[in-house]
Amino acid sequence: MNVIRRPSAASAGLSDHGDAVVAGAHVDQRWLPVSLVDLPEIAETLVVDGARLVSLFVAHRPRRSLVVAFALRGELISLRAELPAQGGSYRALSRFSPAAVIPERVLYEQEGVTPTGHPHLAPILSPDVDDFRRNIRGESTFVIPYGPIRSGVFETIQYVIDTGGEDVLSVDVRPFFKHRRLERRFEGLSILHGAFLAERVSGPASVAHAIAYSEAVERALKLTPAVEVQSWRVVHAELERIASHLEVATRLAEDAALAVGAARFGILKEDVMRLRARLSGSRFGRGAIVPGGFGTKPIIAPAEVVAELARFEDELRRDRKLLLDTGSFTDRLIGSGTLDRKTIDAYGGIGPVARACSVAVDARFERPYGAYRHLGLRIASATAGDAMARLAVRFEEIETSLHLIRQALRPRRRGEVIPDGHLSAPDANGAAYGWAEAPMGEVVYWVELTAGKLSHVRIASPSLRNWPLFAESFRGDVLTDFSFIEHSFGLSPAGADK
Amino acid sequence: MIWWILRGLRKGRVTTGYPRKPEPAPVGYRGRVVVRYPEAGVKAYEELCPTGAISVASYGRLALDRARCVLCGACVGAAPETFAFESDYRTAARTKPALVVGHTARTEDDSARATLADQAGALKRSIHVRHVDAGSDGGEEWEIAALTNPYYDMQRLGLFFTLAPRHADVLLVTGAVTPSMTEPLRRAYEAMPFPKAVVAAGTDACSGGFARAADMGGVDTVLPVDVYVPGSPPAPIALLHGLLLAAGIVTDEAAA
Amino acid sequence: MTTVLAIGFALLAGAVPAARLSARVSALLASCACLLLAIVGFVTAGHWSSAHVNLGSWIGFGPSALVSDRLAGLFFALIGVTGASVSLACVQRPLRRYPAALHATLLLAVAVVVGADQGFLFFVGWETITLSLYLLASADREDPRNLIYAFFGGSLSKVGGAAILAAFALLYARTGSFEFAAWQHAQLGGLRDVVFVLLVVGFGTKIGLIPFQSPLPLLYAAAPGATSATISIAFNAALYALWRIVFGMLAPAPMWWGEALVVLGGLGALVGILYAVTQDEIKRFFGFSSVEHGGIVLLGFGVALIGQAAHQPKLAAAGLLAATLHLVMHGIGKTLAFLAADRVATETGQEVMGPLGGLAKLIPQTAVGFGVAVLTLAALPPLGGFVSEWFTLEALLQGFRLNSTIAQLIMALGGAMLALTAGIGLLAFARAFGGIFLGRARTVLPSLQVLRRLDIGVALLTVICLGLGAVAPWEIHLIGSGLQDLLGFDLSTTTISHPLVLGPVYPNFSVLSPTWLSVAIPVFLITAAVVVRVLLRPPVRTAPVWMSGTYAHTAAAQYTPEAYAHPIRVVLAGAYGLRRTVTAVEGEDGTRQVETHIVAAFEDLLYRPLGRFAVRTSAYVRRFQSGRLGQYLLYVLIVLLVVLALIPALRS
Repeated sequence: MNVIRRPSAASAGLSDHGDAVVAGAHVDQRWLPVSLVDLPEIAETLVVDGARLVSLFVAHRPRRSLVVAFALRGELISLRAELPAQGGSYRALSRFSPAAVIPERVLYEQEGVTPTGHPHLAPILSPDVDDFRRNIRGESTFVIPYGPIRSGVFETIQYVIDTGGEDVLSVDVRPFFKHRRLERRFEGLSILHGAFLAERVSGPASVAHAIAYSEAVERALKLTPAVEVQSWRVVHAELERIASHLEVATRLAEDAALAVGAARFGILKEDVMRLRARLSGSRFGRGAIVPGGFGTKPIIAPAEVVAELARFEDELRRDRKLLLDTGSFTDRLIGSGTLDRKTIDAYGGIGPVARACSVAVDARFERPYGAYRHLGLRIASATAGDAMARLAVRFEEIETSLHLIRQALRPRRRGEVIPDGHLSAPDANGAAYGWAEAPMGEVVYWVELTAGKLSHVRIASPSLRNWPLFAESFRGDVLTDFSFIEHSFGLSPAGADK
Repeated sequence: MIWWILRGLRKGRVTTGYPRKPEPAPVGYRGRVVVRYPEAGVKAYEELCPTGAISVASYGRLALDRARCVLCGACVGAAPETFAFESDYRTAARTKPALVVGHTARTEDDSARATLADQAGALKRSIHVRHVDAGSDGGEEWEIAALTNPYYDMQRLGLFFTLAPRHADVLLVTGAVTPSMTEPLRRAYEAMPFPKAVVAAGTDACSGGFARAADMGGVDTVLPVDVYVPGSPPAPIALLHGLLLAAGIVTDEAAA
Repeated sequence: MTTVLAIGFALLAGAVPAARLSARVSALLASCACLLLAIVGFVTAGHWSSAHVNLGSWIGFGPSALVSDRLAGLFFALIGVTGASVSLACVQRPLRRYPAALHATLLLAVAVVVGADQGFLFFVGWETITLSLYLLASADREDPRNLIYAFFGGSLSKVGGAAILAAFALLYARTGSFEFAAWQHAQLGGLRDVVFVLLVVGFGTKIGLIPFQSPLPLLYAAAPGATSATISIAFNAALYALWRIVFGMLAPAPMWWGEALVVLGGLGALVGILYAVTQDEIKRFFGFSSVEHGGIVLLGFGVALIGQAAHQPKLAAAGLLAATLHLVMHGIGKTLAFLAADRVATETGQEVMGPLGGLAKLIPQTAVGFGVAVLTLAALPPLGGFVSEWFTLEALLQGFRLNSTIAQLIMALGGAMLALTAGIGLLAFARAFGGIFLGRARTVLPSLQVLRRLDIGVALLTVICLGLGAVAPWEIHLIGSGLQDLLGFDLSTTTISHPLVLGPVYPNFSVLSPTWLSVAIPVFLITAAVVVRVLLRPPVRTAPVWMSGTYAHTAAAQYTPEAYAHPIRVVLAGAYGLRRTVTAVEGEDGTRQVETHIVAAFEDLLYRPLGRFAVRTSAYVRRFQSGRLGQYLLYVLIVLLVVLALIPALRS
C-alpha cells in the first residue's frame, strides 16, 4: 500500500462505538449524539446560531441513524439520532429551515423516514413529465413548462414557470428527471471502482466528486496520501473550476448574442479542456484521482502546465476586460436575478452564488482539505448578489485558481517516493465524511466501508442545495432574463440528481 | 463591437481539419480500450470492470464491449499486458456488435440501419441536430456544446443544432434514459419528421454505463439507434464522427 | 327622394311604439327605414337628387326641415347601412321590448341630428341621443355596475349637452336665428373661440375626446345585446356635427383650432389603444378602440382645420378626406365588431376574453365576422382600415407645406403618435382575436350555444368590410361629391390620378392602389397555397404540439389575452401606474395569488375629484332650495336682471 501513514494528521472518522474520533490538532468536525425527539430542537438552535444545513441522510454505521450535518464556523457539526430498524419519524426541519425542504422529501422517499409537519411531502425522485402543478393563481396568468427537453444543448431539468405575460411570478424547479439512483449503485463496489463512479456523478464536477469521495475513504481508513498526490489533486480541481467558470462565461455571452465573445470564451474553455486531456488522458480529469494515490500519473511536466497557463492567462485577461466593457452584455446581467444575504442564509446557499452575495462560504477555506491546508487562498466575493456579481466572482476565482495551480506545482523537495497505483484495503471497515469545493459549491460525501467494499454512500450535491435559490432569485425579472439568470448560477442538474 | 471583431480576427484560424484530415489525439489520451491478446483471458478479468464490459468465455476468449466501457482504466491499470488505451478520437460505430473488440464471434449478420443519406435518396441540405439529455452526467452536454466553438465549428460541415424536434434530422441522445425521461424521449422522436436518425452519445447512452439497470439500459431500449458513440464522455471529434456517420457523410467506423 | 326620406323617418318613428307590440316588428320597421335612409344618402351624396322634408315652424325657434344634402347624404348612407345591419341582426335575434324601443329611438335621434337644418331641431335630436344612451346603458339592471356606468356616462353627456346649448345660445344671440344657413355667416368676433371650445367639448363627450374618454367604453359595455352596435352608430352623429358645424359654419378657423385637435386626436388615439390593450371585457375593449379611432378621425379633421386656417384648400381636403374615410371605415368595422361580440356573448355566455379561446372551430361564422372586423380596425392591407389610416398619415405628412413651424411640428408629432397607435393596435387586435378564437379553450364553458343561422346583418357588414378597400376609388368619388359643399371643389379630381390609383389629394406625392392590392394579396396567398398543396404535396403527419416534451396543461400553457398585453404594460408601467402583488394563499403550500392593480390616471386624477366637487356643489346649492315661494321669486328676478344685462353685451 503506497500510502504514507500519518495517523496524527487531520483525519477524523466515526469509531464503531459511535464516539467522535478526532485526530490531530485541527478539529474540523464534531458529532453530537441526540435523540430523535430532541433533534429538531437542537437543529433549530444551530440554525438560529447561523449554522448552514449541509446534509441530511440516514447512516448505517454503526447503527441505522438519522444524521443532520451543519456547517458552522469551520466545523462540520453532525447531529446523529438513532432510528428504528425500519421507517422512523421526526418533526420536520423544514418547518424552520427552507433548506431542508428538498432533502427531507428525498429522505422520505428514499429511506422511508417521515418528517412530520413537512409542508409538501410529495414524491420527488421520479417526476412525471405531465404532472406538474401551478403555483400561481390569478385569471390572467399562464404556465410555461420549460423542460424537460429544453431549447438548446442543455441538461435535462424542468422549470414550471408561472407568468403573467412577461414577469416571472414563480419558478418551480424539478431537477430529478435524471435521477440515476447512483448512491445505491455504490453499494458493493470496491474502493477503486467507487472512485470511477463518483467522478461520473457529475460531469462538470468530476474531479471534485472524486476528491470528496477519496477524502472520505482516506478519512475512514485514517490515512493521508502523499503531498505530491494532494498537490496534483489541487491542479485537477482548479483546472476543472476554470473550465466550469469559462463555460458560464461562454453561455452568458451566447445569451447576449455576443457571437465573438462566445467564440472567444469557447476557445479558452477548449484550451483548458485540452490541457486537462494532455495532463490526465481525459478531458474531464477522469481516472486521475483515486483514494490513496494517483489514478493516472500526470502525463506532462509541471513546467509545461505552467507555461500553457501563462499563455492562457494573458488571453483571458484581454477577453475578460473586453467582455466587462461591453455594455450590451453587462446591462443584461446587472440587477438580474438578485439575491440577498438573508435568502442565501435561509437556504444555506453555497458556491459562487453565495459568494456573490458576500457570504464567504468555501470548503477550501472553511474546512481546508488535502493540499489546500498549505496553500494561500483568497475567497473571491462580491456584494451585489446579481448575475453580474456571480460572473465577477467567477472571473476572480479563475485568477485564484491559476494562482493555486502555480503554488501547487512549485518545485519541492524531491525524495519522497511518488506512489504509483492506488489504494486497496481488503478488510477495511469505517465511515467518514469527505468534501471538496466543486465549481458550483461544496460537495460532501458520506462513505461507509464494510469489509473493504463500499456499503453505503450519500452525496450532498451542491447544485441541489442551490436550486431553491434559483427559484427565489426571480424578483421583478422577466422571461428574457431567464437564461441569463440560469446560466449565471452555473448549476448542473446531474449533480443534483445523484 | 469592433474590438470584439478585431479580437476574433487576431486569433487566426484554429478550426480542426477533421474530417478532411484526421485530428490526432494527445499522447496518453484515453480514447478507447483495445484488447491486445484476445485469446489470453482469465476469468478474473471480468472482475476488473465495474460496468461488466469485459467478458471471458471458456478457453480464455476475451471480449470487451466498448458500448459498456466507461474508460475508467481499471483493466489497463491491473493488466497492462492485455488491455491498453488507444489515443484516437473516433469511436463511433453503426451497430452494437461492431463495438465489441477482442475475441468476437460474429455469427449473425449485423446490418446497420440506413444512413440519412440513404433514407433521403441523396442528402441535399444541411443536417439539423436536436440534442436530448435522457440522464447524462452533464459531461456529454459540455462536449456537444463544444461542437459549436471555433475549434470544431460543426456549422462548416452543414450541421446545425435546432431547438425543436420538428426541424430535426438527427436526435442526439445522451444518458442512460431514466424512467422519467423515457416518455419525453419517445415523444421527441415521434415529433421528428422523416427521414430521421438517432445517435446515442456516450457510454451511458449506448448501454446505461454505470447507471445500467433493468429500467436504464441505454437509448436502444427505447428507440432504434443508428450510430453509437461510446465514451465517457465522447470527445467533440468523436461526436462529430458519429454525426457524420449517421448522415452518411463519412463511412469509417471505429476499428475493432 | 323627399318622399323616400319622409317614409324613412315615418317608419323609424313608427318603430318606436311598435316595440310595445313586438321587438321583432320594430326591428324590421327600423331596418326598412334605415335602408331607405341609406338609399336617400347615396343619391343625395352623389348629388343626383336632394331631399327636403318640411316640418313647419316651431314656436319661437323658426322654420325647420329634415334635409339630406351632399354632406348629410354621406352620413345618411353610413348610418343607413349600419343601422339596417344592426336592425336586421335584431330581427333575427330580437331584443327585449324596452331596449328595442330605445334602439329605434336612438336611430331616429341620430337620423334627426343628421337631417336637421336648424339648431333647435338638432339639439332636440342630440338630447334624445343622450337620453337614449343613458336609458340603454341602465336597461340591464341585473348588474348594478351598469347603473353606475350609465350615470357616469349620462352625466358627462349632460355636461356636453350644456356646452352645446351654451354655444347655440351664443350663436342665436349673434344671429337671431336657429337656422344653420344663418349661422354660416355669423359675425362672432372674439366669441368664435368660445363657441369652438364649447362645441368641441359638447361633441367630444360623445366621441370620447380626451379627457372625456372614460365613460364612452362603459356605455358600450353596459348596453344590452346588439344595442352596443347602435351606440356606435350614434358615435357618427357627433362626428357629423363636427363636420357640419365646426368645419362648415365657424370658418375661417384660426390655426390653433386645428393644432389643438391634432394634439388631442393623437393623444386620444394613443390613450384609447393603450387602455384598449389591457381590457378583458370584449365590448369595453371595442369601446376603448372607438376612443382610439375617434382620435385618429380627429387627427385628420385637425389637418383639415389647419388647411382651412392656412388657406390651403388641398390640405383641408386631404385632412377631411382622410377623416371621412376613416369614420366610414370605423363606422362599419366597429358596428360589425359589436355585432360579432354580441354573437360571442350569446353563444358562449361570456363577456370577457379570459376564459375563452379556441372558438374558431366551434363558431366559425362568428369568427369570420369578428376576424374581418378586427382586421379592418387593425388597419391591415388591403382592407379599408389600411386605406384610411394611410390617408391620415399622408395628410399629416403634408405639414411641410405650412409656413408655421409649430403647425409643422405638431403634424409631425401627430404622425408619430398615429404610427405608434397603429403598432399597438396590431397587438391589441391580435390579442382580441387570438385570445378568443385561436389556441385552446382555457376553461370548460358551461354552455356553448352555436348559432347555425347566418346572421344577415353580420354577413352584410362582413362583405362591405372586405370590399371597402377594393372599392376605395369609388368611395372617394362619393366622398368627394359629399364634401364638395364644405371644400368648394371635388377632391376626387386630384386624388384619383388613374382610375384605380390614389394619392393624398396632392398629385405626385405618393400613390396607393388598394384595388390592385385587394386583388394581388389574395392571388399571392392562393397561389402559394396551390403550389404547396397541389404541386409540392408534402406528406403530412400530425403530431401533438411540442412543448418541451410535456403534453400536460396545453390549454393553461398558452398566452392568456391579458398576459399577451402584459409586456406593453410592463414597458409603460409608469404611465399605467401598474403594480403587481403576489400573496400566499392561506392553507395551501406554496400556492400564491397574483393581483394586478392599474392606477387609472384619468379616473383618479380627474373624474373622481370632479365628481366630489359636483357632489359638494350640489349639497351647497341645495341650501338655496328652501321651499319658500318668496325666495324662488327672488331667484327669478336675479336671473332676469342678469339676462337683461347680458343681452346688450352680447349684441354689441
